[in-house]
Amino acid sequence: MTAATATPWRANGPSLHAMLQIAGWVGLGLIAVAVSLSDFLASAPANATAIGPLLAAPSADFRFGTDVLGRDMLSETLHGLSRTVRGALPATVVTLFAGALFGFVAARLPRGLALGLRGLIGIAASLPALFLALLAIGLTSRDWVSVAAGLSAAPFAFVRAFDRARQQERTTHSEYARATGISGATLMRRDLVYEFSDTLLSSAARALAAVTIILSTLSFLGFGAVPPHRDLGLMIAAAKSYFLHAWWTAAFPALALTLLILFARLAAGLDEGERA
Amino acid sequence: MSEQRPIIEVEDFGIVRGGASVLEKLSFRLCGGETLVVLGDAASGKDALLGVLGGYGGRGDEPSGTIRYGDGAALPAVKRAKPPIRIVYLCAASDQPLNPHASVASQLSRIVARRHGGPRASASEELRLALERLPGAPTLGELGRRPGEVDATALSWALLAAALAQAPDLLIADHAFADLTPRAIKTVVAALAAEQKRTGFALLYAARGLKTAAQLNSRVIVLRQGKVIEEGPFAKLAGGQSHAYTRTLFKAMPGTQDMKPPRNATRGEPLLQVQALDLIGDGRSARTRDGISFELRRGASLALIGEEGSGRRALVRALLGLDHIAGGRVVLDQVDMSILSAPMTSRLRRRIAFITGADDALDPRMTIWDTVDEPLRAHLRLPRDMVAGHRESALKRVGLASHDGRQAVAALSPYDRRRLQVARAIVSAPFLAVIDEPLRGLDAFAQSILIELLDDFRRQEGPAFLVITADVGIARALAEDAMFFKDGRVAERGPLREILKNPKDAETKALIAAVIPAGP
Repeated sequence: MTAATATPWRANGPSLHAMLQIAGWVGLGLIAVAVSLSDFLASAPANATAIGPLLAAPSADFRFGTDVLGRDMLSETLHGLSRTVRGALPATVVTLFAGALFGFVAARLPRGLALGLRGLIGIAASLPALFLALLAIGLTSRDWVSVAAGLSAAPFAFVRAFDRARQQERTTHSEYARATGISGATLMRRDLVYEFSDTLLSSAARALAAVTIILSTLSFLGFGAVPPHRDLGLMIAAAKSYFLHAWWTAAFPALALTLLILFARLAAGLDEGERA
Repeated sequence: MSEQRPIIEVEDFGIVRGGASVLEKLSFRLCGGETLVVLGDAASGKDALLGVLGGYGGRGDEPSGTIRYGDGAALPAVKRAKPPIRIVYLCAASDQPLNPHASVASQLSRIVARRHGGPRASASEELRLALERLPGAPTLGELGRRPGEVDATALSWALLAAALAQAPDLLIADHAFADLTPRAIKTVVAALAAEQKRTGFALLYAARGLKTAAQLNSRVIVLRQGKVIEEGPFAKLAGGQSHAYTRTLFKAMPGTQDMKPPRNATRGEPLLQVQALDLIGDGRSARTRDGISFELRRGASLALIGEEGSGRRALVRALLGLDHIAGGRVVLDQVDMSILSAPMTSRLRRRIAFITGADDALDPRMTIWDTVDEPLRAHLRLPRDMVAGHRESALKRVGLASHDGRQAVAALSPYDRRRLQVARAIVSAPFLAVIDEPLRGLDAFAQSILIELLDDFRRQEGPAFLVITADVGIARALAEDAMFFKDGRVAERGPLREILKNPKDAETKALIAAVIPAGP
């Protein structure tokens, strides 16, 4: 028996995509718990040297081993993760407001102004985000690294939000709304209430992944975190000289960084991230 | 080929889904050349019936009863059993059954080839012959385009030809022609009947509305909530000697409503004056060649009647300011729209409501409450409690008050969306309501209720109606005056009652004949 020309569609329950997204949020939740309890979970305070032998391999006493100054790598990784997340959160907020929210609003500005802004910020979005971040730090100082990372991811978020809002404007329902006197401001309210707020969590997760990469790269290159306060990027940079014979000094911070970015990407629905 | 050879016999057929019965004790017999229409709404169980017979039943469906195919023995009804007869499924073009990126002809040829197990070239030839046998169908060459580039009527012809090219014993048509205009339905059904007579297949047609059922004019089973309400010839059921539910369904049928007497409102002051309007076609709408002039008075109702592409929708889009006007003048509420600034035009448009058969006319992201509140909040800036009061009153009038107001529009059925549009129009207190094919895609019961809602809306709020339709029956139910469009010009105009009695233009006659049977 065949359904020759079409077979009606049937729902098949929650998709793999939705399940992965839930897994991403669960992972981010666990990271949040680890970050908020880092002082409690870590056996040594941040940057405490000579806790154990130098460059000791992972063992029962030091589960993640120790580094060249005898610091406990488990404690250091937890503190580094905490530092990275605390830097990434304000950067994420900057990306959401200067990027996504501004994009939704700009799309409803008068056509010439809106398209002009889209063109200018589109050019910024085509540049490497790291270059933009370095530029922002150069114009300000290293104290503003979170803002610089947030601003450097913002153009891509702006373009996404702008294009989505413009797409909405061309829909039949927007056309009919305008035909019955609904103003552009009311249509923008629709976008803010339904589009921005509904996608806020996934936008935040996407931005978190992007700014984490930017912040860690800046720290790796020496433009981010300032010693003795170390984030994961700086920890990996510090392990450059000896990670070939003491792999644990770089592997565990890198693993923590990878998990943070992976969970953020999963929580964002594996959507293409803001350019990092 | 004998027309009396048995094709399918269903006995005590029922379907249980997730522990609940969706269809009970249905029995029917179909022989070659016979047609059976199963009429009911989305919850009637007809979709479950088609699913089991077509071999695509839901995972949780548990059929019971027996099915006898051809001359074989009666077998227990089970899902996905391979029957000894050739069953072909035909859906509506609006269901978008084809891949949008490949040509219609190639996709349909592949379907026919797969069914016959033969090469694509011979399947393509079968399809070409099937198209040639259907008068009015496009040629195979015209179907060498992608589905989005072919109009709905041509696509329906193509799907029908592909189904017939598979030489079915039983053709299951799932609302296949529901979205066509009455005139197109008449032509397609006539061609289908001729093919049925020639090859002797049985036709099982699932119908929501009555337009196609009226043209098929065959045996009808009326289903409601999984139960057979009534069964009999269409003419008998339409005659009024039937179950109360059936009578409600048939109230929406064109030609059964009494014509309303003309309203005094047509003698009121002018609301909309269109003078020598000239439009520029946008590729989607027909180009109006002659300047169009007419006047719509407060509280009056004017139907713009014509086939797709005849120019009526282009006219309304121009009136609403959605398309550019090349020439002429539109005066709304004594104000020339062309001299107003954009904000002033927008202010004037606040008193226009729009009710359309397009399912994307409402923002699918918005909630029910927000959809109704928006005109009140945006235009009147009323206090929150007054907005809630107006909203509740409007939702009650259209029968949506019991719905969860925080539900998104996307989750509503087409019928509920249509009622929500009426509720939104009610709170807008418009002086002009533009109503564009309001019954499209609805089942007969919903059509009947919606016409009543629109009538009630007009009686209570008193807006002028501008009705755009290809269906004279809808115009008859909602308007007193009419303009018939053909190829971008007005073919005939005047009081609808007079035109129906004595149509002069051939196009007008054809549009009327497609829905209202000639008298004795």
